[in-house]
Amino acid sequence: MNSALTLTGVRKSFGATEIIRGVDLEIRDGERHAIIGPNGAGKSTLYNLISGRFPPSAGGIHLYDTDITNKKAFEINRLGLTRSFQVTNIFARMSVLDNVRCGCLFALGHRYAWWKLVGRLRDLNDRTVLILKDIGLWGKRDLPAGLLSYADQRALELGIAVAGGANVILLDEPTAGMSHSEIEQAVSLIRRISEGKTLVIVEHDMGVVFDLADRISVLVYGEIIATGSPSEIRSSAAVQEAYLGTGAS
Amino acid sequence: MESFIFAMFNGVLYGMLLFLLASGLTLIFSMMGVLNFAHASFFMLGAYFAYQISEGLNFWAALIVAPVIVGMVGAGIERWGLRPVHRYGHVAELLFTFGVAYVIEELVQMIWGRVPVPYEIPDAMSGALFTWQGFDYSIYRVFMLVVSVAIFVALFALLTYTRIGLIIRAAVSDPIHVATLGHDIPRIFMWTFGFGCALAGVAGVVGGNVLGTEPAMAIQLGPIVFVVIVIGGLGSLGGALVAALIIGIVTRLAIFYDYGVGSLVLALGLEIDTAGMLRDFTRITTAQVAPVLPYLMLVLMLIFKPRGLFGTRDV
Amino acid sequence: MGRLAPWIGGAIVLIALPHVFSSGFALTLMSQIGLLIVFALAYNMLLGQGGMLSFGHAVYFGLAGYFTIHYLNFIYEEEVPYIPVTLIPLLGGLVGLFFGILIGYVSTRRAGTTFAMISLGFGEMVTALTLVLVAIFNGEDGIQTDRVIGEELFGVTYGPNIEVYYLIAGWCLLCTLAMFLLTRTPFGRISNAVRDNPERVEFIGYSSQRIRWLAFSLSSFFAGIAGALHAVNIEHVGFEQVSVLQSGLVLFMVYIGGTASFVGPIIGATLLYFLQSTLTGVTEAWVLYLGVMFVAVIMFFPGGLAGLITMHQPIWRVHARLLAPLLIPYTRFFAALVASVLGCIGLIEMLYFRSSRLSTETELVIYGIESDPFSAVPWIVFTGIAVAGGFAVRKTLPSAVSAWNTAIADARTLPRG
Repeated sequence: MNSALTLTGVRKSFGATEIIRGVDLEIRDGERHAIIGPNGAGKSTLYNLISGRFPPSAGGIHLYDTDITNKKAFEINRLGLTRSFQVTNIFARMSVLDNVRCGCLFALGHRYAWWKLVGRLRDLNDRTVLILKDIGLWGKRDLPAGLLSYADQRALELGIAVAGGANVILLDEPTAGMSHSEIEQAVSLIRRISEGKTLVIVEHDMGVVFDLADRISVLVYGEIIATGSPSEIRSSAAVQEAYLGTGAS
Repeated sequence: MESFIFAMFNGVLYGMLLFLLASGLTLIFSMMGVLNFAHASFFMLGAYFAYQISEGLNFWAALIVAPVIVGMVGAGIERWGLRPVHRYGHVAELLFTFGVAYVIEELVQMIWGRVPVPYEIPDAMSGALFTWQGFDYSIYRVFMLVVSVAIFVALFALLTYTRIGLIIRAAVSDPIHVATLGHDIPRIFMWTFGFGCALAGVAGVVGGNVLGTEPAMAIQLGPIVFVVIVIGGLGSLGGALVAALIIGIVTRLAIFYDYGVGSLVLALGLEIDTAGMLRDFTRITTAQVAPVLPYLMLVLMLIFKPRGLFGTRDV
Repeated sequence: MGRLAPWIGGAIVLIALPHVFSSGFALTLMSQIGLLIVFALAYNMLLGQGGMLSFGHAVYFGLAGYFTIHYLNFIYEEEVPYIPVTLIPLLGGLVGLFFGILIGYVSTRRAGTTFAMISLGFGEMVTALTLVLVAIFNGEDGIQTDRVIGEELFGVTYGPNIEVYYLIAGWCLLCTLAMFLLTRTPFGRISNAVRDNPERVEFIGYSSQRIRWLAFSLSSFFAGIAGALHAVNIEHVGFEQVSVLQSGLVLFMVYIGGTASFVGPIIGATLLYFLQSTLTGVTEAWVLYLGVMFVAVIMFFPGGLAGLITMHQPIWRVHARLLAPLLIPYTRFFAALVASVLGCIGLIEMLYFRSSRLSTETELVIYGIESDPFSAVPWIVFTGIAVAGGFAVRKTLPSAVSAWNTAIADARTLPRG
């Protein structure tokens, strides 16, 4: 089977502390893969390494056949990998509509163009409308993004991330801080936007994880201790001990 | 060789004066994240206050009192001006201090007029301490060096060995963490700002009578102090010291040894173009470019080592 | 059609203005304001649109000015190809663009406060160089030219000030339109995104550094046009035009006018230059007032003057009559503010009078009344007005604020009408 993302012996230290201690991970093309683990296990750091926020200290990362180990964030994004953030990371003073537009622009090839008007770009606006309706923010498109409710901002965060149509989507705790009904909506949204794509999701809510994921990897103290199907993970003794047994919610 | 030592002496002296300014600026920046554009204005206030106090009392009273007043003014500006702006972010804070620099300069002109005031070196220190190899080393300049070195040592000790120093260093690395320990961060900020301004005030007291006490003194020195902390690496006190000394020495040497570019061109066996538009490039002397040198170093530093000599953090 | 209305209206105003204010002073004033609007809008491409605070943007304004003067002189000496004065601003723009690309490459590698300091460094460096390279910049005296180099279309020579006014008005309208359209391009939108969140931009495929560089270069282009217009208008350029003082002035204009809206810099440039040219002859304290005004804007209404207008936009969008209840509380607050400001100005003027030892005037006239700064009465009066006004400001502010809150709440509940 083709792998969308391959990590081999990835390590990362900040000063003397090693946060990621040799991670080998293979994300298959088209699967929904969840990464779980206790707080401080290094999940966000792993995402930052994959998406190019900072380079790993050792090891290699491949996106399909391309080595992206030391590439910059925007170069990796252009190769078809996108991510969302745990802390909402949007363009607060711009309208919801423009937030989504910005997510689409580069992928549609408009790049740095200063000679075309965004209002006249049909492909851009069609795509934007589609995404706004999909994430349920069409009615609030003219509001400044900073004034949206928390759940709406999370939805917008997803919208910006997937607007470019990237093939590999990394989501970082997309349902954190949401109520039960909001989580249900968010899960169905994630299901829709990841249709036919490769999804990697870091999540604390086990209901969401077991609902969505085809496979699960467990990250504890910078190491992957188990990878497998939801039922395998549920029954793994090592996982019980290291993670589920510790009483994590 | 003798002249080289004399020029070095002046360079170190100027460098230490720059460091006095840069240390306060660095302290404020690393604690609060605020680049205080008005820092040199507090230096100017120090000089003017010292002038006023030494008119009424004497230089020694000024040396103690003027920095204290400058510090109080600084703390007041932080409390009632900068603190409300804090929520708009660092760029707004920088803009605020930029505006304050304008206001202080105008207020100084309003009170003391547009011409320089006669703030002079105290009589007791006006002579030469010793003459060596034909150069006079004046008492006052040696005194300046002693004062600035003493402050450097005191500052270093304060940060290394005292409880306050511990809090300051902790706040520099992690402000939120210190807040959870129960320290009143806004108050620490206020006194940090005041203390930093007081350091600039000391520089004003000891430097104002040598460099000249006039309304333009702030705008002349301010940008160079910025260069010092960028070259040293933002937030690094040691870097500020090294950068201040480098800039002090380089600019003084450039003025002292007034070499021209023209002589270099001739030495290379080239002809000098004396009529064209670019003729001034061959007439440039090192003394002329001395004011440009700090900025040139800044640009080169930013190209080759954007974090500065000892910088560890991004802005 | 509705979208074109402001532009047509603007053009009509620009054409009509010299017929209403036809004195030589007014013409020069309006010309200067026109080119400063271009400069301020260019500056706001950095500050308001791109989130870059520059203390050295006058470099591109000034260098284009120097170049323009030299070029005009060279045309006169027939050493360079002839370019009509009408098109000279374009040349200035290219000079600005050239230096913008060059210096921008280095300085836009960093953002935020570091960028601000780099811009200051370049500003100081260029200013210092103007004093060293005498053949090009002629030191403190600066260089001059004669803008009349020949007859152009329709017999225009740019001798009379009115012709220069129309040259500047035309370029001002053109540049304003161009810069407005730029905000609506992919570049403009991503530039806003970099301002709001430079880190996030990297994860949607953009290099924030590249965007800053592009914004910087384009902004320098328009600053260069403004500089060339300055050279044509004044026929002189000196080191003041590249100095940090000029950079600070444009920063003040843009910030006081309001960085968040497109018209902010236009308001700021118009108001501030008008005040500057009318007040410098009257008071010595103009720069102090300017500084205080700037600090007050940062502290109390960071949206600037345009921000004050746009905060009422949601109200009159719904219905203009919702503004009526604001009238009385606003008037009260404004009267109190004016009183306290007038009191403070009186005090400051007397202080300046007492301290300026060079002053040859013997009596001080404030608000048409002779006020002797060496007697107690005016001090008591002005202090009284300032303090009473200050108290009134504090008393009337809450009701003004609550009136606005009510109006906004009303506007939200009512449907658009």
